[in-house]
Amino acid sequence: MKKNKHWLWGILLLLTFSLLLAACSEDEGTTDEPAKTEEPTDGTSTEGAEEAVPQVLVFGRGGDSVSLDPAIVTDGESFKVTENIYETLLNFGEQDTTINPGLAKEWEVSEDGLTYTFHLQEGVKFHDGTDFNAEAVVKNIERWKGGAEEQYYYFHSMFKAEGEDVIASVEAADEYTVVFTLSRPQAPFLKNIAMSPFAIASPTAFEAAGDKFGDNPVGTGPFRFVEWKRNDSITVEKNEEYWQEGLPKLDTIIFRAIPDNSARLNALVTGEIDLADGINPSDAATIEGNAELQLIERPSMNIGYLGLTNTRPPFDNKLVRQAVNYAVDKQALVDAFFQGRAEVAVNPMPSTISGYNEEITGYEYNPEKAKELLAEAGYDGSEIELWAMPVPRPYMPDGQKVAEAIQKNLADVGIPSKIVTFEWATYLEKAKNGEADAFLLGWTGDNGDADNFIYTLLDKDTIGSNNYSYYSNDEVHKLLIAAQSEIDEEKRNELYKQAQEIIFEDAPWVPLAHSTPLLAGKKGVANYLPHPTGSESLINVSME
Amino acid sequence: MREMVSNSADLTLKEEKVVGPWKVAWRTFRKSKSALIGSALVLFFIALAIFGPFIAPEGINEQKLQDPTLRLAPPSSEYWFGTDDFGRDIFSRVVYGARISLAVGFLSVILSIVVGSFLGVIAGYYGRWLDTIISRIFDIMLAFPSILLAIAIVSILGPSLQNALIAIAIINIPNFGRLIRSKVLSVKEEEYIVAAKAIGMKDSRILYRHILPNSFSPVIVQGTLAIATAIIEAAALSFLGLGAEAPQPEWGKMLSDARVHLMTAPWTMIFPGVAIMLTVLGFNLMGDGLRDALDPKMKN
Repeated sequence: MKKNKHWLWGILLLLTFSLLLAACSEDEGTTDEPAKTEEPTDGTSTEGAEEAVPQVLVFGRGGDSVSLDPAIVTDGESFKVTENIYETLLNFGEQDTTINPGLAKEWEVSEDGLTYTFHLQEGVKFHDGTDFNAEAVVKNIERWKGGAEEQYYYFHSMFKAEGEDVIASVEAADEYTVVFTLSRPQAPFLKNIAMSPFAIASPTAFEAAGDKFGDNPVGTGPFRFVEWKRNDSITVEKNEEYWQEGLPKLDTIIFRAIPDNSARLNALVTGEIDLADGINPSDAATIEGNAELQLIERPSMNIGYLGLTNTRPPFDNKLVRQAVNYAVDKQALVDAFFQGRAEVAVNPMPSTISGYNEEITGYEYNPEKAKELLAEAGYDGSEIELWAMPVPRPYMPDGQKVAEAIQKNLADVGIPSKIVTFEWATYLEKAKNGEADAFLLGWTGDNGDADNFIYTLLDKDTIGSNNYSYYSNDEVHKLLIAAQSEIDEEKRNELYKQAQEIIFEDAPWVPLAHSTPLLAGKKGVANYLPHPTGSESLINVSME
Repeated sequence: MREMVSNSADLTLKEEKVVGPWKVAWRTFRKSKSALIGSALVLFFIALAIFGPFIAPEGINEQKLQDPTLRLAPPSSEYWFGTDDFGRDIFSRVVYGARISLAVGFLSVILSIVVGSFLGVIAGYYGRWLDTIISRIFDIMLAFPSILLAIAIVSILGPSLQNALIAIAIINIPNFGRLIRSKVLSVKEEEYIVAAKAIGMKDSRILYRHILPNSFSPVIVQGTLAIATAIIEAAALSFLGLGAEAPQPEWGKMLSDARVHLMTAPWTMIFPGVAIMLTVLGFNLMGDGLRDALDPKMKN
């Protein structure tokens, strides 16, 4: 009998406890404003020390960097750090992709568009004491040119066409003048050279370190590398000898990898981090309601898509690919999983980029049409693998949920699918090898040029690097190559518009959305301007 | 006459007293309120599992993305437990989830009982080097935290509900194996076994007819309790993305999917969570009741 009583008490306790828990969470759902505003005050202790706020910024983000050698990576998480350690010859505008001076203070272009002359900043030194001069620039470019394609594939995808080097030669005319000679005109050349991967590294350091250079990065940037704890954090500190007076303002930046979006937001609320990348659109309202935090929108320049590997059945059939385009309800996806903070995508690039074809209206949501096309294609109903990325990306906050919704869309038209996922690096590697049937992926533009979307993502030259869907069309290829060499803006845009029409017809992807990535920071984070390319130098940021 | 009467009275009295061990157990069990509550919960969830399709108003994956008012809708008369971020009826999913959880619980435990009993009986009955090997393997497996071992096994086999079931079955084998082995060790010294051996009964017959039935009652208790653990472990694996796959309405996966809405739509999390809690509580209470009823030492 005694035992029974204990049990009864136990159950009673459990039930009351669970009721309490339920009540608590209900409360927080409706009235979380007063509860939240109180929290951070004791966590941050910024109030009392108004005079000397420590200039330390902890940047929470979704993943770790792959390498800190910008030349060998393509992922945004790597560039977020390298942007601070290295500098490029030219810089983009603070929140756009206009061309501004960087390590090169002036530049000239020849009439025929084949010769570019850069005049470099004088008196700049790399972190290891090596002088920055024309010789260093030449050595960097020769390093990229001489490297294997799979190692420097960004360079290869931008500056090689049909196996030929676009940059025929680079010469140091004098100590501070570099002359690039191109084998053919490349319209977006200046924009390309301003991209994060083409940052200038210390020749002494990369020659000495070889393959290990990514672990001990040395550049000219405002911050120097301190330490890297894999999958945890990267620390950089102020470069005291930085060539621009009074910059940078921060003493230390710590980049912390917190893969889970909610966990990262929690870390921000508790004061563990100062700036959080990758905020779920669904949390935006919570942040706006919290007086201690600010919601920051990154200007949108991306595309999230469902790639259909064009070489694998059933997607080797154009009709099946078109059917999938009709089957997916893009508007519903945008409303549900981007909270409307995105535009439904039609073409493989956002409408803000010149050359965008506005006459294409896209495939509407039409399951009936999809079924007809599938029947016409003779699709046998075999199950496909639907790959969903394991980590939140700026172009897609929650790949798993989007995949689950697409799975249902596909099931509705009679395509059974199984959702598959891998660790992020493996996912990219396998997708690049063409092992996926259909995969979610996306792209954030690096330089705001149409070439950086259409050519980089869908030309036959870039199969094996960024053309994950293995789309290959000779006509498109011809148009894209012509556009690269065309200097007249009007004609160039016309070529891209034609290419988009063919791509629309071939349907190598289901373009899903152009999203507005969200970040959140403490109120004290000042002068942080997120760049549309997804990575930016934190040189002007300070803590108040 | 008087003697006869008293005799017959004695007889009837004796008849009443001589009741089988199972009946005694049932009486003890029936007296325990907690055991009855537990059994009621278990029966309730079994009923949910069996009659799920008749109870659930919707299927498991009826998404209503087009209508924003149906996404993350709070509990209402139409959607008793509210809807999730796909606009799916959580009540229906919880009901269907009972099938998955109970199936995983029962099947994995049955699998581990079969394998565990086999190994335990061999180890206990034959002893010597067989015992040493089997017992050491059990020790090694028990040295790992069970969920860690399960994660390792699922990582090798690949994430799916079926593999989660196998993993849970494997990690529970040593528990049953050791239990049976210790019981067999004591039972095999009993006189009736010695007698059976003396009259030349074959080992297989002794094992099957005498040792196994007489060693089995603790397994029943352990089995009921293990179902509870198995359900939690399956939920944990699914929560980590190593078990059920979309769109299966596994409770642990539902919890994991609902995490981001904890603040804004707590019902997406509460109901699957409560379902897990009640099922596990039910099996635990029932298991405790069974233990009290079946263990002779616990009497009085």
